[in-house]
Amino acid sequence: MADKPQESPASRSRTTRGAVPPADTSPGRGGHDIEVARRPGEREAGAGRETAGRVRQMASAMVGGALLTMGLQSRSLGGAAMALAGGGLIYRGTRGRTLAGRVPGLRIRRAVVSGAPAAKTVLERSITIQKPASELYRLWRVAENLSKVMGHFADVTTTGPDLQHWKVQGPFGRTLEWDSHVVEEHPGEFLRWESAEGAELPNEGWVRFRPAPADWGTVVTLRFRFQPPGGALGDAAMKLLGGVPTTLAHKTLKRFKSLVETGEIATTRHNPAAREGGYAD
Amino acid sequence: MRALCWNGINDLRVETVGDPGIVNPHDAIVKVTMSTTCGSDLHFIDGYLPTMRQGDIIGHEFMGEVVDVGRDVTKVKKGDRVVVPSFICCGQCWYCQHDLYSLCDNTNPKAELQEPVFGYPTAGIYGYTHAFGGYAGAHAQYVRVPHADTDCFQVPEGLKDEQVIFLSDAAPTGYMGADFCGIQPGQTVAVWGCGGVGLMAQKSAFLLGAERVIGIDRFPERLKLAREKVGAETINYEEVDSVLDVLQELTGGRGPDACIDAVGMEAHGTGVEYAYDRTKQALRLHSDRGEALRQAILACRKGGTLSVLGVYGVMDKFPIGTIMNKGLTVRAAQQHGQKYLPRLLEHVVKGELDPSFLATHRFSLEDAPRGYELFKKKLDGCVRAVFLPN
Ligand SMILES: NC(=O)c1ccc[n+]([C@@H]2O[C@H](COP(=O)([O-])OP(=O)(O)OC[C@H]3O[C@@H](n4cnc5c(N)ncnc54)[C@H](O)[C@@H]3O)[C@@H](O)[C@H]2O)c1
Ligand SMILES: [Zn+2]
Ligand SMILES: [Zn+2]
Repeated sequence: MADKPQESPASRSRTTRGAVPPADTSPGRGGHDIEVARRPGEREAGAGRETAGRVRQMASAMVGGALLTMGLQSRSLGGAAMALAGGGLIYRGTRGRTLAGRVPGLRIRRAVVSGAPAAKTVLERSITIQKPASELYRLWRVAENLSKVMGHFADVTTTGPDLQHWKVQGPFGRTLEWDSHVVEEHPGEFLRWESAEGAELPNEGWVRFRPAPADWGTVVTLRFRFQPPGGALGDAAMKLLGGVPTTLAHKTLKRFKSLVETGEIATTRHNPAAREGGYAD
Repeated sequence: MRALCWNGINDLRVETVGDPGIVNPHDAIVKVTMSTTCGSDLHFIDGYLPTMRQGDIIGHEFMGEVVDVGRDVTKVKKGDRVVVPSFICCGQCWYCQHDLYSLCDNTNPKAELQEPVFGYPTAGIYGYTHAFGGYAGAHAQYVRVPHADTDCFQVPEGLKDEQVIFLSDAAPTGYMGADFCGIQPGQTVAVWGCGGVGLMAQKSAFLLGAERVIGIDRFPERLKLAREKVGAETINYEEVDSVLDVLQELTGGRGPDACIDAVGMEAHGTGVEYAYDRTKQALRLHSDRGEALRQAILACRKGGTLSVLGVYGVMDKFPIGTIMNKGLTVRAAQQHGQKYLPRLLEHVVKGELDPSFLATHRFSLEDAPRGYELFKKKLDGCVRAVFLPN
């Protein structure tokens, strides 16, 4: 299920049988990762939903509803073109091709996939980190770091060279597990992994490191793609997506940045407070 | 341990809570010897800032003794007497490396609460709203200080707590506000607000070379401190017909070269706009009363600098056209304390700065609610109440 190099986002969406072209720009994104395709009527996935609700509540208290809605809706998503391109192309993009040139004026949008047997959920974000790409690549590959960085979402254990086991708390008290293995690597620049054959919720991901301008360090882009199988089984698997927070890539990158820049991840764990028995975060 | 907690709007209580401990490898635990009230606390005590939770420990301006350190702390040691800036900063990110500490990328664990409003999250603060991280505050016997090597500053021998405590927040805020003005010889700086922050901004303006400093407020005892402890000229805005006219007359019709807002979103006022702001704020239609800020914008000379230290939400009726047509430079920030602390400590050691006059009232931690009462209502000449939690 690896993404093949694509000529344009349009050709990509044609790869999904029965897909219609991107229908309209997505509404307020409030801190969610960029999501490329989902089924009509599909609700936003998982834990992110609750946070997003809280965020909106808090923000409107602060800003006043109308203003906020405007702000969120008009937010332009520069550089987001990448979200629509495949892994191979992304990697080659680091080799001096300009993605922007291929998709002029592109704004990210949510494609509504009508009746598609294989809906995809793609979560992608970028972050800038104060370290050289080579060092970040090395740190990403340290097993202990990966399990810390993913700790908010999954228990990731390294089970062999280039092999990981993932364990995610899904909805309805279900646990989702899968193995993943590295399928493409370009040291210092790009790393891609895929879930092993037969995973209940097939998925893949990649991370890319590119130099940032001036003294900003490195731009790190992370992408996850979850691809539940179609049919009746697919519907069940789609529900499992409820365990995937829509902020997954954004949060994971933030945790990675904190860990590698400072050696720790900010937390309010064990935070004294006068509720919940003396500690509450 | 005992700690002062927020239980709802205008409801502070001292409660028994868990003791903090080392959680991350760069943490220190500080036994608080002194903490103090800040005008920023009033904004959530009065309910104008969202994301407080019942039972949160408040307080962000403090000093104390280090009693424990995490395994990766190298400079700070047990037994050190330290003052700690109110913003939690990692010291490693691009912002910290460029002295923009309150913009730190890595210390707000609840960034998702801020991102919809600010676009990008700021640093965390002790004892403040959850949008600013929700860290336990410092009106407590002990407090966990992350990134101790960046955020703990050794107190030089021979200084009393009262001389140092305000270097945690009020003094670096005021100093930064004056620094923003890029003061040139012969210049006049006007400061709205004669609370802890405003008085420190006035003092700092002199330290940074201002020729004249004008403090504006309505409380006679605060104006008196501005005159006697800082050497500022003062305007009681309740006793003059127009602050604008007085400032013009004091500056030969030009207006002050720089205007500092040290008032914030709960400004008090007398005019029609004040009534408008108050009504809208009461109805929660907007979060700010902008009287002082609008006056500062109007009073500032053409091409001058507006330096905003007061805390605001999102204000409507904000006169951007006045700023634009007058060519004002606007500077604003939450305080970058880690940038200014070394130089402020030096000023204190040399006797050029002594903020201890701000500490008008002292209380045990158990009496902290009373301290906030006096501070909030500006009763009994209270400028800042300090607490002694141990
Ligand atoms: N930027 C930062 O990092 C930072 C740090 C600390 C405090 N603050 C903010 O600075 C502001 C002041 O803090 P403080 O501790 O001095 O508070 P404070 O409440 O002690 O002082 C505010 C003063 O402003 C005066 N005031 C009210 N309306 C006025 C008006 N229209 N004109 C002139 N003066 C007026 C009040 O009478 C009072 O004396 C607050 O908004 C606070 O949140 C910002
Ligand atoms: Zn403060
Ligand atoms: Zn930082």
